[in-house]
Amino acid sequence: MNKETARSLFMDYLYDELEQDQRKELEQFLAEHPDLQNELEELGEVRSMLEHLPVQDPAEQLVMMEPEQSGFQDWWNELIGSLIPKNGFARAGFAVASLLILFVVMGAFTKLNISVDDNGFELAFGDKQEVLQQGVTAQQVDYLLQQMKEENALMVADAVQQVQQAQDEKLEQSLINFADYIEEQRINDLQMISSGINNMEEVYYDRFRQTDQVLGDLIQTVSTRN
Amino acid sequence: MNPGQQEHMEDAKLVQDFRGGNHQAFNKLVARWQDRIHHFAYRFFASSDDAAEITQKTFIKAYHKLDTLDDVEKFGSWLYTIANNLCLDELKRVGRKRATSYEALKTAPQTETTTSADDKVLRNEGLVLLHKALLQLPVEQRVVVIMKEYEGLKFREIAEILDEPENTVKSRLYYGLSALKKTFDSWNINKEVFDYE
Repeated sequence: MNKETARSLFMDYLYDELEQDQRKELEQFLAEHPDLQNELEELGEVRSMLEHLPVQDPAEQLVMMEPEQSGFQDWWNELIGSLIPKNGFARAGFAVASLLILFVVMGAFTKLNISVDDNGFELAFGDKQEVLQQGVTAQQVDYLLQQMKEENALMVADAVQQVQQAQDEKLEQSLINFADYIEEQRINDLQMISSGINNMEEVYYDRFRQTDQVLGDLIQTVSTRN
Repeated sequence: MNPGQQEHMEDAKLVQDFRGGNHQAFNKLVARWQDRIHHFAYRFFASSDDAAEITQKTFIKAYHKLDTLDDVEKFGSWLYTIANNLCLDELKRVGRKRATSYEALKTAPQTETTTSADDKVLRNEGLVLLHKALLQLPVEQRVVVIMKEYEGLKFREIAEILDEPENTVKSRLYYGLSALKKTFDSWNINKEVFDYE
């Protein structure tokens, strides 16, 4: 054993986790090395001082993951546990029976009324009211049908009239537009003709003037010669 | 069967009961372990509020994660692992603030303490300094000192909780105790201070 090995055993020695033979071996070595013995005693002294460190206990149970059940709850759970059968099939039967009882009790409270007659199946809650009218007669049906037909015919005629009126209005508008277009074209043509005539007048006027001028010059020339 | 094994068996039984749907079993586990976790956290932070908070968080986490515990007989070690991790998380969260206060503790009073005539006051101040000295240790040494010195865990158990080799745990404890010795010497605190009644 050397000093490093001895130091590596200090913690096991101090906390009494050393095997008996190792303990003896270490103690023999320490007896031969007072410096190591002293070091170990100092560490032991630190331990004895640390023992005095005070500590505080929590004032109460700091964590309670689920509140304790009351006596009534325990009783209730036991009652339910004893009533419900353990067997799966029996448990299903128990559930069906419970539902039926619940249905009957709820039906009694809500005055549930179930009836089947020629008109079909009827399910109602509360007091049953008197039926004021069972249905309508064949005559009334015919009358209603006749009335519906008349109303339909009127509606169709009205719709046709509205469509016709809309078409007439469209046609009239188209004719008006066409007439406007023709009138506009006519005015343009007249303006073009008028413009052409004016041009012709100007051309002829210029030619007349030129002719007059040539004739004047000619007359003057002849007069001068004479 | 020694008392430790007996205790592990009882914990394991309660864990199994809880997994079987008996919530009261968990409350029994809380009652069995609350003081130890609270002491651990109190020594770690020297604060009752922090200790209570860490204790509560530890058990709440344990409640939600108990299904993940593989070896039910190691419930105690598992609980310490949770508590230690929560302490480290808390230290990280407010690390700067705490580090500042630790720095302030380094300038501990010396002459006033040792020259006081009142023995009781002397002892009380000595106890305060004792805790301050513990708080000055590096976190990994402090944890090992607390677990070994106060929680009485075996080196094997501490190694398991911290997920470190046993030799590392012993080494940290050796350096932790040595550092405490130096601090006590520098503050003129010796074991006579605590012998006053």
